[in-house]
Formats: sequence, C-alpha cells, structure tokens
Amino acid sequence: MENQIAISNVWVGVVVVAILFAISYTIGWWSSRMTASEDDFYAAGFKIGPITNGLGMAATWASLATFLGVIALIAKLQVPFVYLWIQWAISIPLLTLLYGTSLRRMKAYTPAVFIRARYGKGATLTIVCWMILIMIMYALGQMIGLGQAFEMLFGIPYNLALVISGVATIGYITLGGMYGASYNAAFQMVIMTIAMIVPMGAIMKSMGSSGWWFPPLAYGDMVPAMLQVLPTFFDMKYDFRWYFALIPAFTLGPVALPHLAMRVFTSSSVKNARWAVVWFVLFLGLLFSGTYTSGFAGNFFVATTGQAIAKADQTLLILNVFYNPVWVAAFVMGGALAAGLSTIGGNLMAISGLVGNDLLSILAPKMEGKTRMKWGFAALGIGGVIALLLAFNPPKFLVTSILWAFGLLATTATPGILLGVWWKEANKLALIISANICGVLFICISPYVLPNFVVGKGLSAALGMSGGMVTVPLSFTLFILLSIIFNRIPALSSYAPALEDKKVIDRIHGWGNYDENRYNSITWPIVLAIICVGISIWGLQPWS
Amino acid sequence: MKEQLYKREVWITIIFTCLLMLFGHFASIFVLFPGLKGGTMWGFPVEYIVPILMGWFGLMVVCIAMALVCNKFDDDMEAFAKSQGQEVMSDKSKGSV
Repeated sequence: MENQIAISNVWVGVVVVAILFAISYTIGWWSSRMTASEDDFYAAGFKIGPITNGLGMAATWASLATFLGVIALIAKLQVPFVYLWIQWAISIPLLTLLYGTSLRRMKAYTPAVFIRARYGKGATLTIVCWMILIMIMYALGQMIGLGQAFEMLFGIPYNLALVISGVATIGYITLGGMYGASYNAAFQMVIMTIAMIVPMGAIMKSMGSSGWWFPPLAYGDMVPAMLQVLPTFFDMKYDFRWYFALIPAFTLGPVALPHLAMRVFTSSSVKNARWAVVWFVLFLGLLFSGTYTSGFAGNFFVATTGQAIAKADQTLLILNVFYNPVWVAAFVMGGALAAGLSTIGGNLMAISGLVGNDLLSILAPKMEGKTRMKWGFAALGIGGVIALLLAFNPPKFLVTSILWAFGLLATTATPGILLGVWWKEANKLALIISANICGVLFICISPYVLPNFVVGKGLSAALGMSGGMVTVPLSFTLFILLSIIFNRIPALSSYAPALEDKKVIDRIHGWGNYDENRYNSITWPIVLAIICVGISIWGLQPWS
Repeated sequence: MKEQLYKREVWITIIFTCLLMLFGHFASIFVLFPGLKGGTMWGFPVEYIVPILMGWFGLMVVCIAMALVCNKFDDDMEAFAKSQGQEVMSDKSKGSV
C-alpha cells in the first residue's frame, strides 16, 4: 500500500499533538502547585479518588502496545494472543488483594519501602536494582514507540521524532510529580478509549458490520466472512501448558510492577483502593476489547481486500487512513501517544521513587525529606533522559524483550514481596540469594544470551514464558527452603527475621496486636515449594 | 474471635485469588475441556467471546464482591481491635511502619 507510514496532511497531526501536550502541560503545571511534600510527590498526597484512580490505573497499564504492538501480534498469533492479553486485567486486582492494600495501609511510596521495612537494606538494594532495570527497559520501549508514533504522524526522521517526543514528555511528567501523573493518566485514558472505540465503529460500518454501534463486542456478524477467508483465526493452537505458562511470567510478573503498585498506593483510602480496582477493570476491559476488535478488523482487512500491511504495528493507523478522514486518523494516533505518555509517566515516577526515596534513604539516611524530594525530581528527569538516549540506538536485546522482562520481575521481585507480606519465616539472605540466582538463570536460559542454552523455543522462549515457568517457581522454592534452613543456623541469625520485622507483617494486615502464630506456618510453604518444583520440572520438558 | 478473623482473612485471600485466576485465564477451561467448544454466542465462537466477557464483566463482578467482602472484613477487624483497646494501622495513621 502507498502512504502506509505517514498521515498525508502533517498539520492535522501537529494540531492534535499540540493540543494533547498543551493539556498535559496544563495539568502538570496545575498539579505542581499541589506538590509540597514527599507524600504529594510520590503518592499524590494519598488523595486520589476511586474513579480517577481507576482511570489512572488503566492508563498506566495500557501502553503504546495497546495501539501498535498488540494488533500486530494478534495479526501474527491470532486468537491465542488475545487470551494472553485478557489476563493482564487481573494484575492490579491481584496485587491489590495480595499486598496492595497492606502496603497502602503502611503508606508506602513503592513496594521497596515494604522490602526495606521487612528485609532491611541488603535485600532492598537487590530488589530495587532489578526493578530499576525493568522500569528502564519498560520506559525505553515506550520511548521508542513515541518516536515511531511521531514519525508516522509527521513523516520526520526517527531520531528527530524521538528528541521532540522524548523531551516534551519528560518535561511535563517532571513538572507534575504523582499528582500530575495521576490526573494526566486519567485524562489520557479517556482520550485513548475514545480514540480506540469511536473510529473503529466507523471502520466496522465501512466493512459492512451491523454492530458498528458497539465495536468492542458487536462484530459477530463479520465472523462467517472472516472464517471463509481466514479459517484458522479462532484456533486455540497451543496445548494446556502454553496457557498455564502465562501465569508465572505474565500474571505474577506485573503483580510486582512498581508503577502499578504505586497507583494503588495513591488511593484516598484502603477501601477506595479496592473500589478503584472495580473501575480499573471496567475501563481497561473497554479499551482492551476495542484492541481485540482492531486486531480482528486488521486480519479481516488483509484477508478481504488482499492488501498486505507491510508494518503490522501500523495496522490501526492504516485502517483509519483507509476508511476514515485524515483528522480521525490523527486523533487515533493522538490516542496512541496518550497511551505511551501515561505509561512513561508511571515508569518515570517509579524510577523516581525507587531512586529518590528507596535508594537514597539507604545511601544517605540522614538526608532531609525535602532534599530527597528534589533528588526524586532529578531521578525522574535523569531516568527519562537515559531511556531517551538508549532509544537512539536501542540494544536489540532490550527492544524485543519488554514482555520478557515481566518474567524477570516475577522471578526476582514477586516472591520477596508476596512471601514477605504473608510469611514471617521469609529470610533476608534467602531472598537475596534466590532472587539473584534465579534472575541470572532466567536471563541465561533466554534466547538472548546463550542461544544453545535455551528453555523452550520460538515465541514461548522469546516472550519468557518457558523460561519463567522454570525460574519463577524455582525462585519461590529456593526462597522458601533457604529461609527455613537459614533461620535454623545460628551463624546466620542476623539474617533471620527479627521480632520487629515480624511485627511489620501483623501491623500492615491491620492487626492491633502481635501474635507469633499468625502467618508463620511451615507446612503450607513447603507444600507450595513442592508444587513449584513440579511446575519447574514441567517447564523443563521439551516445548513443541 | 481473633482466630476466626485470621482464618477468614486467609480464606478470603485464597478464594479471591482463585476466582481472579479463573476469570482472567478462562480460555484455559476450553483447552482443558475441548468439548465445551463448538457453540456460538452473538455470532462468535464461545471459546473466543466467553474468555473476553469473563476477563471483563466477570472480573468486574469478582472485584465488586472483593471490595464488599474485604471492606467488611476491615471493618470487623477494626471493631475487634477497638473492643480489645488496641490501636490499628489505618488510613489516618501517620507515616510508614
């Protein structure tokens, strides 16, 4: 197809982007006036209400991939990728249930605040370093996507597009702190939902669907035509293990994503955090269902018109250029930009919290809160600049591995957080050893480092599903068994949980007193460890 | 009462974790029980549309139940602590642990 890349009238794109950034900067500036303390900067003063927070959670979670990458991957993998995407929606409900409200009760800024209170400085340094690495990878992916979106909108070279989009983005996020990130994310979620759903209705109408009035769920009448031209579209294709492997890597990984947890922590109360989750599922479901429709429509378009889409990432834009006026196509790209901006906002706030609050409180414990907040601002900007610089000539390993990084997070951070909240025996040294050994193992058995030493093959290995099915349960097992052993070795008594560490657990669960017997079973963790060993062995079996 | 509350908390967490997993990974049900495939709903194969609906509205229902049950549990926990003359960590508590 001709003109697949850029929108024909550049000025329409300029106007859309200018309006989007003008609103974002205004919200950032307005928010900056409310930022007077660390509570304000890192947690929006713990004042965000359920609906705004639900919108913010959905926007932070839904990245540029929702508009670009997913649709391309649906084109490649078809329905199994839809199933993979559906399960993202349980990430924030699950983290809220398992530890989000407990950490909100202790007024944590990031999950690492809890790690420090529970495990001390050594373990915090370990987990924070893994989290920062993953946040940089995540922000890098978004930065590249933003550059590409600007390239498509204006037809300018990628590097120039990257500088313009990167600097503009870092600027408004740094301006507003968490208040700005929260209110901007809520605004951006509205934009991206409209941009995904409404133009898709017009596209479906042009394609002959009678369900154009509700694109997310009403395109069933296109199915017979789709099956005629693409009979394999609805095939589930993989065996049960492939679907099970979504859990260790893609369900348990996002549970520990600091930028998602931080959205829960900004809630105006523990109870409101739970209601925010309800709104999150509603808003995210609407947007994601629109994405599945776009993936369906992209496949339908290629199959029925015979026109190949050279760059599958651009499917949504191409459908809009083909069926809708140019200003609609530009608005859709504005929606994609909004998705990228809100996610980068969350990523940079997480980097800021991890560096400005968590690392500095270890390295410079006597530093005053206001000074730490200034360093938080600096870390936010520097994190953005690093991601921007990496995006000029991105290491291939990082670009192809954003989803893979979830498995790394599930391996290194999730066991420490979940067992730390629910198990008093969890040992500091056991956490450091299990997180580092299994984290390095996850990297080594991926296709990116040692091509001859890979667990799984093809897409399962590239996405970290097969690797995660081995290392995530292994990390839980190692952590549990080492904790039990280390706690009983007198020479390692300094790493065993002290009474103060254990009291943290009772307090964040809402108990008024301390009881040694609570959250202190040995039997159930051992049962869990045995189950995990079984899952690891299952993951090691040859992948078809 | 104290023991009952603890057991309730653990069971609430286990049950809602299982429900969230089930609704988020509903496609696995159709892989495990292929006999369920073959039907249609609103024009779609059931194995396509049902996981989407479960991962959206089904999950929303689970989250509403979770909010109601967990918030009620928090109230009971706070009432119990007050009856024992204990202070609990709440939204109004100052600072972190």
